[in-house]
Amino acid sequence: MNPVTRYVKEVEKSLSGQNFLRVGRLRISAMIYKDLSRQVDALETKLGREPSDGEVTALLAEFGPAAEVAARYTEMAARTPSHDLMERYLAAVERRLPKEQAADIVAELREALEARIDAKSEELGRAAGPDEVAAILKEFGHPTLAASRYQTQQYLIGPGLYPWFWPAQRMALGVTLAVLVVLTVIRVLDSARPLSAFIGRVFAWWEPLAMVFGLVTLVFMLMEQAKTPVKLAQGWNPKTLPHDNVRKPRPLFDSVFALGFDVVFILWWIGVITVPGRKDASVQFDFTGVWDSVHTPILALALVTAAVHAADIVYPAWSRLRSAVSIAGHVGGLAVMAVLLQADKLITVTELPNGDTRAAQLSWWLDGPFRLVLFFVAVGWAIGLCVEIWRQVRAGHPAGPARGAPPAASAPA
Amino acid sequence: MEHMPLSPDIVESLRLELRRGTLVMAVLGALRTEKYGYTLRADLSDKGVEIDEGALYPMLRRLETQGLLTSEWREDAKRQKRFYRLSADGAVALAQLAEEWRGMNRALEQILDAPAPRAAGRKEVG
Repeated sequence: MNPVTRYVKEVEKSLSGQNFLRVGRLRISAMIYKDLSRQVDALETKLGREPSDGEVTALLAEFGPAAEVAARYTEMAARTPSHDLMERYLAAVERRLPKEQAADIVAELREALEARIDAKSEELGRAAGPDEVAAILKEFGHPTLAASRYQTQQYLIGPGLYPWFWPAQRMALGVTLAVLVVLTVIRVLDSARPLSAFIGRVFAWWEPLAMVFGLVTLVFMLMEQAKTPVKLAQGWNPKTLPHDNVRKPRPLFDSVFALGFDVVFILWWIGVITVPGRKDASVQFDFTGVWDSVHTPILALALVTAAVHAADIVYPAWSRLRSAVSIAGHVGGLAVMAVLLQADKLITVTELPNGDTRAAQLSWWLDGPFRLVLFFVAVGWAIGLCVEIWRQVRAGHPAGPARGAPPAASAPA
Repeated sequence: MEHMPLSPDIVESLRLELRRGTLVMAVLGALRTEKYGYTLRADLSDKGVEIDEGALYPMLRRLETQGLLTSEWREDAKRQKRFYRLSADGAVALAQLAEEWRGMNRALEQILDAPAPRAAGRKEVG
């Protein structure tokens, strides 16, 4: 705080008495501030340079002790006519100004308003009334607006950072949603009343989502305050632009739900979560030994798939690396399918003590359709593999001119 | 695409955008001679440049913080007033801005004075 502002604050503490109550703090301190500023400016002109803090302090000591100055200026203010509306307006603006500059800004605003009111009175040929003063104040704008124009920061997230705000929110909310999906599935599988557990969990999603939204907004607000430059925009390379002609970027929700499914599958596959069986079940379903031989490859494939889906949330466009991982995943998946489909049996059905004598028959009936499902999945993967290879080939050929675009001018020889 | 009628709001917002950048230059130019807020605004208004007081005073403060203006509280007509004038740095900045402005003005004059090509797909009537 500069010595003049500090001194005015000191004087304000000594203000008291009937006149002070009538005139108001703001008017008295503005008069003192203006007189002191004039004296400091005169000293600056005399010295030909900005006075030092010590020189200003000496000038303030000469101006008088705080209590004496308070009494002197209260008397002076009481003798000077003023407009109640203007005083109320200035007080409202002052409350919204940064403390360090409030006295200076209010002093200047007061001068501007008084000049306007005097000009109006001259034009009318009489003293301006409350209606005329109110009209002038309206022109200056609402106190909040008038004070906000003096703030160095005019927005929470400025135009330099805003383009990154929504992509960051999209990513943060996407990852949160994926986690929530996984937690919900686990809770639902673990619950005796799955439907009500599901509804309860889904209705509770808003809280973490709102918290993440608020946190990301807060981080951006702090970055704006600190004027943090986004280096991402400076290091940007046009060669990294997505190959939209190869495949459209994957929608966020597709990636989120795929990742959620992957995590649930992995947790189930490694036995962290189990599908609850019915207590009155008469038979038990089990995988045959062939599944043990592919347990680790399936886990590895699921982890790779989850990693690809997680990467899709951050970078949803097609890339050669993502495609190569996808091709490797498809080949691995088809190899696993080949092992499974060559096995004699995929599922066994065991009769339980309270059970059914038709277990063997059921086993035969189930194994066939299950094998068929796996076969169709394998066909789907084979098609997916071909598509991905075709994309790799296509990515090597840049997109041609848009349909309807004018032909390129022939280059000069 | 269906053609929407020109909204006055669009023209107004473009007009404000066009004016915004030139106001600083007008203020710096007017303050080659010392003035206080009220006379500065009146002077600008006389020359056809209108500016809200609510915008003028924060602008003066910003320009002073940037070192382009200097200010001084003085008594004038029995009232304390803050007088502003262009600083040495402000004079340099104003000269550069004025040069930029004149260059842009010349370029725009050429563009705006060039004969407009006949709108495609329209036949002359009459």
